Amino acid sequence: MKKIIITFLLSAGLLVSCTELEVTPESFVTEDNYFNTQDDAVASVTAVYASLSLDPGEQSLFGRNLYFLTDMASDYAAAGVSATNPQVRALSSLTHDATSDRVQVAWRQIYAGINRANVSIDNIPKVSGSEVIKTRLINEAKFIRGLLYFQAVRLWGGVPIVLHEATSINLGDLKTNRSTADEVYAQIIKDLTDAESLPATYSAADAGRATSGAAKAILAKVYITRKDWPNTILKAREVINGGYGYALFEDFQDIFTKTKKNGKEHIFSVQFEPNQAGNGSSGSTFQATSFTGFTATEPADIISDVALFYDIYAAGDKRRDVSYAKQLLNPTTGTLYTFPKPIFKKYLDLTNLATPSNVAINFPVIRYADILLTLAEAINEQSGPTAEAYELINQVRRRAFGKAITTPDVTVDLVALNQASFRAAIQEERKKEFVQEGQRWFDLVRWGTLVTEVKKVTAKNSVSERNNLYPIPQSERNINPDGLPQNPGY
Amino acid sequence: MKKISNIYILLFLLLLTTGIQAQNTTPLIQSKLDGTVVDDITNQPIIGASVTIKGTTHGVITDAEGKFYFQTGQKFPYTLIVSYIGYKKTEFIVEKNPVIINLREERQELDELVVVGYGTQKRKDITGSVASVPKANLSQVTSSADNLLRGAVAGVVVTQSSGRPGASSSVRIRGGNSITAGNEPLYVVDGILIYNDNANSSAGVTYAGASVNVLSTINPADIESIEVLKDASATAIYGSRGANGVVIITTKKGTKGQDNISYQGYFGFQNISKKLKLMNASEWASLRNDVQASIGQAPSFTDAQIEAFKTSGNYDWQSAAFRTAAPVQSHNLSFSGGDERSRYSVSAGYFDQEGIVLGSDFKRISLRANYERNYSQNFKFGVNANYTYSLANGVGTAGSGRTPNPLVAAVLTAPVVPIKNEDGSYNVTNNPYATSVNGYVPNPINDLENTTNETNLNRILTSLFGEYKITKKLTAKVAVSGDVLNTKQNYYAPSNTTTGAGTKGLASVGDRLVGSVLNENTVNYNTNFGESHKFSALGGYTLQYTKGEVVNAGANTFVNDANTYNALQDGVAVKPYSEAYESVLKSWLARVNYSYKGKYNFTLSGRADGSSRFGAESLWGYFPSAGFSWNITDEEFANNIKGVTEAKLRITAGTTGNQEIGNYLSLASMGSVNYSFGGTLYTGIAPTRLANPDLKWEKTTQYNVGLDLSLLDRKINFVFDVYYKKTNDLLISVPVPLSSGYATVLQNIGGVENKGFEVGLTTENLKTENFAWNSNIVFSLNRNKVTEIGNGVNEFFPVVPNGSLLQQQPVIVKVGLPLGTFWGYKTNGIFQTQEEVNTQPKINSLANTKVGDRRYVDTNGDGVITALDKGNLGTSQPKFVGSFSNTVSYGDFDLNFSFQGSYGAKIFNALNQQLEISTLGTNAAATLNDRWTPTNPSNEIPRATSSPLGIVSERYVEDASFLRLKLITLGYTLPKSVSKKLGTKSVKVYVSAENLITWTKYTGYDPEVSSYEQNNLYPGIDFGSYPNSKTFISGLNVTF
Repeated sequence: MKKIIITFLLSAGLLVSCTELEVTPESFVTEDNYFNTQDDAVASVTAVYASLSLDPGEQSLFGRNLYFLTDMASDYAAAGVSATNPQVRALSSLTHDATSDRVQVAWRQIYAGINRANVSIDNIPKVSGSEVIKTRLINEAKFIRGLLYFQAVRLWGGVPIVLHEATSINLGDLKTNRSTADEVYAQIIKDLTDAESLPATYSAADAGRATSGAAKAILAKVYITRKDWPNTILKAREVINGGYGYALFEDFQDIFTKTKKNGKEHIFSVQFEPNQAGNGSSGSTFQATSFTGFTATEPADIISDVALFYDIYAAGDKRRDVSYAKQLLNPTTGTLYTFPKPIFKKYLDLTNLATPSNVAINFPVIRYADILLTLAEAINEQSGPTAEAYELINQVRRRAFGKAITTPDVTVDLVALNQASFRAAIQEERKKEFVQEGQRWFDLVRWGTLVTEVKKVTAKNSVSERNNLYPIPQSERNINPDGLPQNPGY
Repeated sequence: MKKISNIYILLFLLLLTTGIQAQNTTPLIQSKLDGTVVDDITNQPIIGASVTIKGTTHGVITDAEGKFYFQTGQKFPYTLIVSYIGYKKTEFIVEKNPVIINLREERQELDELVVVGYGTQKRKDITGSVASVPKANLSQVTSSADNLLRGAVAGVVVTQSSGRPGASSSVRIRGGNSITAGNEPLYVVDGILIYNDNANSSAGVTYAGASVNVLSTINPADIESIEVLKDASATAIYGSRGANGVVIITTKKGTKGQDNISYQGYFGFQNISKKLKLMNASEWASLRNDVQASIGQAPSFTDAQIEAFKTSGNYDWQSAAFRTAAPVQSHNLSFSGGDERSRYSVSAGYFDQEGIVLGSDFKRISLRANYERNYSQNFKFGVNANYTYSLANGVGTAGSGRTPNPLVAAVLTAPVVPIKNEDGSYNVTNNPYATSVNGYVPNPINDLENTTNETNLNRILTSLFGEYKITKKLTAKVAVSGDVLNTKQNYYAPSNTTTGAGTKGLASVGDRLVGSVLNENTVNYNTNFGESHKFSALGGYTLQYTKGEVVNAGANTFVNDANTYNALQDGVAVKPYSEAYESVLKSWLARVNYSYKGKYNFTLSGRADGSSRFGAESLWGYFPSAGFSWNITDEEFANNIKGVTEAKLRITAGTTGNQEIGNYLSLASMGSVNYSFGGTLYTGIAPTRLANPDLKWEKTTQYNVGLDLSLLDRKINFVFDVYYKKTNDLLISVPVPLSSGYATVLQNIGGVENKGFEVGLTTENLKTENFAWNSNIVFSLNRNKVTEIGNGVNEFFPVVPNGSLLQQQPVIVKVGLPLGTFWGYKTNGIFQTQEEVNTQPKINSLANTKVGDRRYVDTNGDGVITALDKGNLGTSQPKFVGSFSNTVSYGDFDLNFSFQGSYGAKIFNALNQQLEISTLGTNAAATLNDRWTPTNPSNEIPRATSSPLGIVSERYVEDASFLRLKLITLGYTLPKSVSKKLGTKSVKVYVSAENLITWTKYTGYDPEVSSYEQNNLYPGIDFGSYPNSKTFISGLNVTF
């Protein structure tokens, strides 16, 4: 009997003391066991870049959500019948309000990227490894942070400036009030100026990382938005003459050809790769995703007015048929299909129509043609159409018509314009050049022509001066109503 | 079988003889007594009952016909003591020969022993709210144990997610307490604590669809009894797992004195109980023409073609998706018995059900051995071992917003498209209304038939225990148990199926292994202080360790479809996935009962739980409760109340917790994302969650007042309970400023309230010698309300994981409203004139509103229909539910029938919404035949358009009230003389029908539905769930 009792008690004691309540996760890293090595630092900056192209469970920032605000809401694009989200339709007709989920998601994705950049900038100094690499990584994070604040300040005006990672869940610590637009621009210039010390080029394996040329190019865009012509000219010339080797592609189509990624014209692009090794929704999701096949069903993304935006291209302007498709070859039937209305085509991979939302075409955030037109515009604003300004715009035009880029060509070259008509020419050129490249909205706001231009499209006649800024998301104001006053008109 | 039974009968007779021989004493005076012992309700003889003459040691045991015989020296009248397990011990005064002695089943008595947490208690002494599932409910045809709770116990609402074999259910005891964490009760199976998380039956395989019910690994035929613990006094002993209620399942054990072989089996078939009314080819062609016209396109069909479709070229895709007379069968064989020192029960079961939808089925093999032995006077040990293997083939998902699964895709396929080619193969190339991918068009019937979607479950549930009586008053018990659940999922979509076409074949396999070890050590102390004071105490320490591992992998782009999922290496690999998690729960538990003269009973119980799931600052939670009950009829003043046999008042209060909040949530996590440089994808690591060291359990405080009343010599038994539950510290993803880089943080901040009452009424309506009729009525009413969401937020829209529903936001969580509240527009007819279009409020996001479009009510009167005009359209939680079950026996026949009903719940019929959206390519509901046209100015159905916008309106939030003849069974037990000739102890045959009649206004397949399974945020959405079936079976129960 004693034996039984002993066995009995032993088995009772067996499991009592062997386990602790603190368990360590094995399938994810926590911040406590991160930021030790240079590889940790590299991966954290990779995640900063990924905030531009990937948000599991949601369409990505540069792949889709910015498009609604910077293109679909502008004059040339609209929501088609296949756009099922009423909030998207509201943006298209400019009847959106502060509860718009697309405005909110863009805000969220921009700040998620800023937070990742902050995490990298705050923590990389403490990892072991090469100081050169660490400085480069921090400057890459600053480039992305500057780029994201530049999007934010143009969409909403003075936004909250957050420069360090969140560490507590205390609501007071997580709230940040709006700053002025000037303060935001000062921060952007600071970050991008730091990023100017990035390398000019990378090895082929690192192609797509931010370069000093990219930092200077974005700075030029920042200055032109601020109407700071001397600095715009300074930075644009540095991009052109800085020995970076940037040039226009001879063929306009090459900008959107997956085999020509990160080519000579691409200064900074958001990198898209199709589903590789199960990498969820990393694909570009422009027009491509709303490609509804060879049917009459209207896609989600459509051209708003064929006469105003498709028929305007002069004969021989190759940009029309790269930007739009009136007809496409149906690979299943082998016949040419004619769409009721031209569809967007820049991001449509004709070799992969089966899964159109998974294309490998990059999104060009800034390309060399933009710098040429930016410099031409700034020179014209500062001192009228100089010979340099003519040459800059004409290079872009010659390429559009498939002419030799640096050889003057009377059939396409612009001549004999005054400052105002040169300005109008620049504006017309940008409209044709940057379809679906996230430029149109910001250009119209910058030129102060948003209301007049958008009103020309009947379905968009709700546009008003309030639209020069988007509303601060209502959900954000619910939590911090005093610190986040709403933009006028919402 | 025959051979076995003969041997067995021989053995049995041998035993009987020895039994009788052993009882032979030498009487002084020879007198005889012949008697029979029968059940007082069923009049069935009781075999093996012990009959003893009071005051002597002379006793006998009844034979196979319930008969016994005495030769004794006693003179009439003398007293017999008759006892049998499960029946009340009865003293009977014999005055003449022969006698018939009625034994009453203990179940109806307050003296009955009730299984409670970590022990048993006399029903009379219990203070808490504990209900038992009636025996009749345990014999239903079902694949899972939780379905046995349906309609059985007041306060328990069981909602099956679909009619698929092996489908999961959600079980809510007294309403849902939690918003985001688990709401399922804790199951205690032979002492093993199990949380029924159906995620455990998923290994994360893409497109696998609805999960398999984990409780299907317990064979319902093995279940002896089920008790439901509802209030805090009963559940606080389970601490941080008690808040959602506790279901204690006890499997069949052997009984002393008789060895039985018993076979239970049935065979039956199932049919779809209802089909949806869809358009035929002719109607659809005319609809398509109207849609074409609405976008300025030429018609697709001529009038002659439309007319011709009436006679040929119509294809019924819906019917093609269903099987007719899908078979179901079940066989169980068990051996049970015992002697003075050991008791055993060994059983094997086989269950095989084909689903009513093509390609779906469920098979299970289950083995069980329960054994218990008295090693010595003071030491007892035992083992309960269970192994189950099941294989479920399910309907996968199709992965698009409009068609979440092939069943919906079938319903939506244009009826002019042929299902099969002329050679009998499936038509996967010819559908001009669908987009062709790599040369294949979707054929949902082909998808159902030819997609492999298996879930294999292997589960071992084993517990060992030893119990040692240290002194007469003090007992110690140690139990160690293990629960191992392995899930293997296999998926393959051939290259001509919808999911496989894009990638030229799609294969995926996954494996999940969850193991849990539980050690429980308890000490029991029982004593009396004098006659009046009864005292007992329980103390214990328990430890549970759980570890889970998941791995899955997949491949696509196969050369052909020959090797499917078993040769991933032949395709192009997709990124694999693996995950591991562990959790530890340490607990101290205690319970003290004190009873004064059996009149006043007090219970104090509680548990301290330390859980690895909680944050570092709050590792331990404490859960106390107190209960008091008063047996009023034991008071002298109550002796003379006529008709009242027993009356008892119960009052309890206590706090319990919910630790089903997931693992590791208190830690700051970082997750991986990808970005490509130079065309190669690299892994990036980014923060995904902020740390919350204060994260802890959800806390429920519950108050309960109950009254148990037995009237007219227990012919009427009444149990009434009123409760109020307040749950605080609910885990909510609280919105924080997005400018922080985070959208939400997890905090214990929310609140939910449940209150309600329950009535259980069992009555003995009629009883004569041959005829008996008993009824059981269960009624419960629960009101649920969200009281807090946190950070000043008043409402949020849960994200429904479906492209179309995600944007529509059909469900709201709003302070002051119940969970599962539907939120949308009220409809207001149809725009009949252009003037109405010009002047009446229109939806702002819909440009170009035309005559014939639907109008909505402008509730805020601002002249435009915006999200602000949406309002409460009702909740998926019923106002009340009830059931009415009857057992009628007449001679050898018995009839069981039960009705179940639910009133006031709503279902968002997302499938019907999709069917009423006219598009160019998909079939539509027949209701669209009455669509608005200039010549048919319908005020209910809008014009045909090509606009795929779904809008949540009251039209699609339907009344899901129903009354259902859930089960009707007619049984016949062969007379003893006949069954004896057959070499058996008893033989029963029966026929039964399930879901025979349902009265409901719901237009979908079935009002008992929840497409998103156990989810508490968006229950009650019907998006093409697997429909319920009508089942007819015939069965046989034999005991040898």
